[in-house]
Amino acid sequence: MKPRVAFFDFASCEGCQLQVINLEEKILDLIDVVEVVSFREAMKESSDDYDIAFVEGSIMRPMDEERLKRIRKNARILVALGACACIGGVNRLRNEWSVDEVKKEVYDEADIEGNRLFDVFPTKAVDEVVDVDFRIPGCPINREEFAKVVAHLAIGKEPRLPSYPVCVECKKNENICVFELGKFCLGPVTRAGCNAICPTHGDGCEGCRGYLDDPRMEAAKDVLRKYGVSFDEMMKRFNMFNYRKGAI
Amino acid sequence: MSKREWLNFVDRLIKENEGEVIGVRARGSRFQYAPLESAEELRLDYDVTILPPKKYLLPTHEDLMTFDISKPFEVLANIDEGKRILLGVHPYDVLAIQQMDEIYLGTHRDEHYDARRKNTIIIASDILNVSERSFAGSLGTHVVETGFDLLVTDLGDTVAVTIGSEEGKRLLDTHSETREATLEEKKHVKRLRKELPSRYARKLKVDKYMWQKLLEENYDHPIWEENSKKCLQCGSCTLVCPTCFCYDVDDVMSLNLKEGRRVRTWDGCLLRDFTRVAGGEIFRENIKDRYRHRYYRKGLYLPMRNGFVACVGCGRCATQCLPDIADPCEIMNTLASFSMHEKVNFPIPDVKVAGVEEGLLIPEPATILRKERQTDMETLYEIRPDSGRRLEYRPGQFVEVSIFGVGEAPISIASSPGRDTFELLVRRIGHVTTKLDTMKVGEKIGIRGPFGNGFDVSGIAGRDILFISGGCGLAPTRSLIEYVLENRGDFGKVTILYGCKEPGAVLFGNDLQEWSRKNDVLVKKTVDQCGEGECWDGEVGLITTLIPPLDFDPERTISIVVGPPVMYKFVISELKKKEVPDENIVVSLERRMKCGVGKCGHCQMNGIYVCLEGPVFRYTDVKDMPEAF
Repeated sequence: MKPRVAFFDFASCEGCQLQVINLEEKILDLIDVVEVVSFREAMKESSDDYDIAFVEGSIMRPMDEERLKRIRKNARILVALGACACIGGVNRLRNEWSVDEVKKEVYDEADIEGNRLFDVFPTKAVDEVVDVDFRIPGCPINREEFAKVVAHLAIGKEPRLPSYPVCVECKKNENICVFELGKFCLGPVTRAGCNAICPTHGDGCEGCRGYLDDPRMEAAKDVLRKYGVSFDEMMKRFNMFNYRKGAI
Repeated sequence: MSKREWLNFVDRLIKENEGEVIGVRARGSRFQYAPLESAEELRLDYDVTILPPKKYLLPTHEDLMTFDISKPFEVLANIDEGKRILLGVHPYDVLAIQQMDEIYLGTHRDEHYDARRKNTIIIASDILNVSERSFAGSLGTHVVETGFDLLVTDLGDTVAVTIGSEEGKRLLDTHSETREATLEEKKHVKRLRKELPSRYARKLKVDKYMWQKLLEENYDHPIWEENSKKCLQCGSCTLVCPTCFCYDVDDVMSLNLKEGRRVRTWDGCLLRDFTRVAGGEIFRENIKDRYRHRYYRKGLYLPMRNGFVACVGCGRCATQCLPDIADPCEIMNTLASFSMHEKVNFPIPDVKVAGVEEGLLIPEPATILRKERQTDMETLYEIRPDSGRRLEYRPGQFVEVSIFGVGEAPISIASSPGRDTFELLVRRIGHVTTKLDTMKVGEKIGIRGPFGNGFDVSGIAGRDILFISGGCGLAPTRSLIEYVLENRGDFGKVTILYGCKEPGAVLFGNDLQEWSRKNDVLVKKTVDQCGEGECWDGEVGLITTLIPPLDFDPERTISIVVGPPVMYKFVISELKKKEVPDENIVVSLERRMKCGVGKCGHCQMNGIYVCLEGPVFRYTDVKDMPEAF
């Protein structure tokens, strides 16, 4: 029997699900090997009976937590989809400020008191609320990687993310190192799997796939200093997708 | 020939279908090898390319084979027979290709590499501009006398051509008008080559023949620790290297779950998971060890094995390394100026490798005849090659088991040789073994091998044998135990010590029972712990506790020690207390034996390839090897 698959979204731009739809002709293979039962962005039907849940977005509110826990209960396998779900992503930047400060900044005088929709806490990644079986990181996700993970799950091979940095893919693409172009790059500390798409197009890596398990932060900072990157600039870049309060 | 004639020659090569013409072209402020569309694009004035021309012989990604898993066993080798001309190859890269040839065509010939190499014509070029970080002038790799089909020297208005092969001459005769070089031109070429070394800013202060000695004496030099702190572990130094040849292999399935490919990609020893085995163990966990390993491989291990320093001084690693700690020239100069003089020996055991030599990468079909669950985690499989060929192996050797779409894993053979089938004991722990666990009798797997060095059965004949195995170590040991018992008359006293975690984890329980029933075999077994009420008729305690009470003649007895990595040190120390001489100890060591044929590099333990010289070793050969235990 084909595994039943459902897609869910929390705080996100839903761009990762769009990447799935963007599989184009491959999507026909996808629906050949799995049965998609819920996918708000692509179909109107939905079901609570599924084996694999793909979850996009960060967790912001108690009501998100409740919903996520229900999803976890229903799903045999839960896959976090994209930077927001895997590491909190850009949503996490707001953890720099208190919830009240954030509300004031965004909604100012608007009457949101007592409205559940606006009852927010500091941003969490999906794995801060429930167990996550697998991750497909990136902003947005890499379609090829998504297809690979689905194929692995369907064939019974545990999907594993690369444990090496973006530099590996960048070198294989024979790019000129973006540091040489006078730009700033988080490639040395960021998990590969995107085929070094940003450096290949001449831009520095922003770290959207999250850091490696053992990122060489001190060594990377030495390099940044050597290339004359200011501390503020460094802070901004390190925090863009991988915000950690008061630290880089 | 004149410059104009040279450009015409290149254009004719491109147009007249002599194959794909790959030349050095500009890429932004740097250079790369890429297909040429016209002679104008060729830049013989380049300093160095980002990646070496190796990428056309061992591509960054290459489909070794394709398969269709909806069929019982359909696999097709994917051999690239395309003709190519590499244009503008600098001498150091010509020499690097010669090194690659030695690795990939020397022993255990690699079919995929071989096909590409045979179809590649090399038109080398003398160096016009020296790369800032290159030190080829000090290594003598700035000039080359063989290894090319043609060698060109751009003299400005004219281009001098040296013919290196019949094929080169044919190309030249077919596509160009040449004349004999004048004496003046010949002198010009000579002068250019002679003056070249003085144009290098980077100079080696120590002769390359001294690298081995320097490295032997500086394994614990502070520079390894110091520099490794700055290391990003990005692998760039190995990825841009023309002589690095390690690779990884993985299966990629298309989303339709039918067709798949087995893909080979470049890998590098600086990356953390390079030595990681399915159980999660990383054998070169420390960053310092990985950082040091690269230099030792280039300057000591490979020279010991092949007779040449595996560095041609191109300077690509130094150019690409952001913290600037990857330069062999600087490292060797530092070691030369401040040597520790603490000699460590890294001998490579001289082992005559038994096993397959041809058709190395494509698995052959085999059928699962029997499955016998041993514990929650382990199952014994009886396998028969579909070809009917009887696997010729020595106890202790291993095979690579393939499940297409999932991958490949090295598994020790657990049964004695001489039968039409063989047995594998498999622990469900990685991709392949987890998938295998779901397969049924009658289903097909792929096998390659046997590989590696097994137990020297004739060398231990006539001796008393003491088997000491822990956990899964009983699998390869069982192959030898069976052999010894089948040839019982050839051996003296036989003692088997077996230890594992708990009664539920005991492997080959029936065999252990059967062996202990024999009156000419002594069997002792122990578990680390035994829960209350659990049924257990052996000892409780670590395997080391079985050794002190044992009565045996240390001079007559050969001890065969196989178990998890942590076991060796303690067991061997107990044996030493019994005054067992080192030469009477034999061990079998587990590493990540990915290719089985001494190429992919994952199983390397200092200078030793475990898949070639091991997994079975005489203890004397590895006891001083820092990475062995």
